[in-house]
Amino acid sequence: MQRRDFLVMGSALSLSPYLHAETVTTQQKAFRQVSSLIEAVQGHMFPEGGKLPSARSMHTIRFTEETIFHPTYDKDIRAFVIEGAQELAKRENEKFLSYTQREKERALRRYEQTDYGSNWLSRIMTLTMEALFSDPVYGSNIKAAGWKALHTQGGEPRPKTRYIQL
Amino acid sequence: MKQTYYDAVIIGSGASGGAVAYTLTKAGFNVAVIEKGRLMKREDFSKDELAYCRRDIVTPNLFEEYHVIEEKVDGKWEATPTYDSGISFWNGNIVGGSSNFMSGMLHRLHPDDFRLKSKYGPIEDANVVDWPISYEDLEPYYTLAEELVGISGHYEPHPYEPPRSTPNFTQPPTKENAVVTLLDKSCKALGVTPLVTPRAVLSKDKGHRHACYYSNFCGSYGCSSGAKSSSREALLYPALATGRLTLLTNTHVKYLHSNSKDQVSHAVAVDTITGKEKTIHGRLFIVAAQAHESARLLLNSANKYHPNGLANSSSELGKNLIFSGGGSGQGELHKESLKEISFDALMQPGYFINRSILDWYFIDDWWHGKFKGGSVEWMFEHQNIISRARKNNYEDGRLVWGKALGERVVERFTNQKSIRFEIFNDWLPNDNCYVTIDPKHKDKYGMPVGKLRINGHPQDLKVGNYIAKKCEAILEGMGAKNIYSSVSSAPAQNLVAGGCRFGDDPKTSVLNRYCQAHDVPNLFVADASFMPTGGSVAYTWTIYANALRIADHIVDVLKKEQV
Repeated sequence: MQRRDFLVMGSALSLSPYLHAETVTTQQKAFRQVSSLIEAVQGHMFPEGGKLPSARSMHTIRFTEETIFHPTYDKDIRAFVIEGAQELAKRENEKFLSYTQREKERALRRYEQTDYGSNWLSRIMTLTMEALFSDPVYGSNIKAAGWKALHTQGGEPRPKTRYIQL
Repeated sequence: MKQTYYDAVIIGSGASGGAVAYTLTKAGFNVAVIEKGRLMKREDFSKDELAYCRRDIVTPNLFEEYHVIEEKVDGKWEATPTYDSGISFWNGNIVGGSSNFMSGMLHRLHPDDFRLKSKYGPIEDANVVDWPISYEDLEPYYTLAEELVGISGHYEPHPYEPPRSTPNFTQPPTKENAVVTLLDKSCKALGVTPLVTPRAVLSKDKGHRHACYYSNFCGSYGCSSGAKSSSREALLYPALATGRLTLLTNTHVKYLHSNSKDQVSHAVAVDTITGKEKTIHGRLFIVAAQAHESARLLLNSANKYHPNGLANSSSELGKNLIFSGGGSGQGELHKESLKEISFDALMQPGYFINRSILDWYFIDDWWHGKFKGGSVEWMFEHQNIISRARKNNYEDGRLVWGKALGERVVERFTNQKSIRFEIFNDWLPNDNCYVTIDPKHKDKYGMPVGKLRINGHPQDLKVGNYIAKKCEAILEGMGAKNIYSSVSSAPAQNLVAGGCRFGDDPKTSVLNRYCQAHDVPNLFVADASFMPTGGSVAYTWTIYANALRIADHIVDVLKKEQV
């Protein structure tokens, strides 16, 4: 199956040719319009008081933005991250951010019922786990808190720079 | 500026390119090795999971350079560019190639792998042929590779362990995790003989290279001590030290140019940073770009003398591409049910499970009959943290998140460890597994991309499933839980061979027994392309050995000035 088909499978949506063709700068603006929503979803997935560090305390949204706009990141998936958030906001009539925890849970599970939403939530989960468990050099596994929660540590030598910048 | 004229121009710096460069420079010849990627030194490597294992950092961006993969879907051939599937068929495009990133569990082929058709007869819909050389021809070079690149291990006689000309490995085995106690016991109870895994990782210092420091993150990563027996560490650095090797990095060969029917005159290459085109001239050209890319390069080098591709008068170029058949499986060892070894010993990071099984290399089963089988390697699940945390986080088809996710992931990391087996069996060559060049898709350099039609033979699945059941029983005997295995026809992108078969008949093979093109005497193909059948182990030791063998012949050719 082709990736673009997979990303939009089962949805009336498609990756917007408009957004997809836009420059990175325009996409960054679009991302910032939905970043609070993505941050809230990450916070719901990785809340305070659990056995893992919370998304909020590890600033995973910052990692998410830096990651998807890095040249090594797949441009189709970058567009999907943004458009999936826009779709969630639309489905919930732009009210997601004001929801209680219980309402957020119901909204996300509703979204998960669609293949598109399920794929998007899975992508957000992956990005958030990358934030929490990648090397601290990437900025979100602060003081290796993610590794410590798992009683593990990354291998040596650790990277001195992000993405092997030689 | 005067054009440099090399004795030999080698395209590709992986296992085979390095072995040929080593032999030729040691013999006093001036050699150029052309590598598309950059040089990363030992001190440049780190255990950065995000960069090495989750992004295209050491392989090309798939939107710029890709393959088209043709597979059968619902009975119809469907072609998908890899920028769409996201499944890359590149393997480590830096100096040393994919040998930098291998796990290094290596075996020699068995003597019967060289005469599969004679031994087992033809198989319907499979293009099985005997090799033009025997194990005896290659044995001295297996031994040379073992010593030269550094393969550690311990020899134990076994009916399917090939004969050796030396009594044992000069490098003792790498250190073992205590879990081998459980594995050995379970095997013994089932009448299975586990063997110590030969590993292309040094257990002792060797020259400029340091012994393994057991980083816990070996496969998929470059080695920071030089212990891993990559082409770069073991062969190219010594070749560079002769002063006769010119390493041309960030240089991609687009095609080989011929001024006459029986000779390549120069390589046409592009600087991957500046985009500037250049030509590289030499007496001999040795293609070592990894099987599917080597065939692509020769197909893209078609000219008026060779309209169907360079060295393709047999029309065999690109055909009979093979991968490694088989599959994998695993089970979990849980803290509360662990007996005989302590949980702390199990969780000790870095040490290997140095065990392989060759008992099913040839199968004679009262129910299933006699057939060629395969080998098994044992290892821990890869210790990558992100991928382990991300795994199996679904319940009733829904993603687990919130506090329940935290409990689940912490439990996985602190109360259990997964042990895994990988099966290697022949991928039978067949008419529907080959590489051509795509008529439509081109890479960023304007050259047609490789189009791979991929098809596994039903026999491959039969063998894989037979062995998987045996391995599941071993895991059960160890007390593992949640055991599963998966055997499929999905190709292992890092284990690819064939496409330029060697043989004595120019009508049915691309290369002669020295991997020299029948049609073009100053052209050789040194990588795994030559293999008519793949055997049932990882290819790398055979690639090193065969490249060292043909390099001796190339030295003779250069000395006699036969070309």
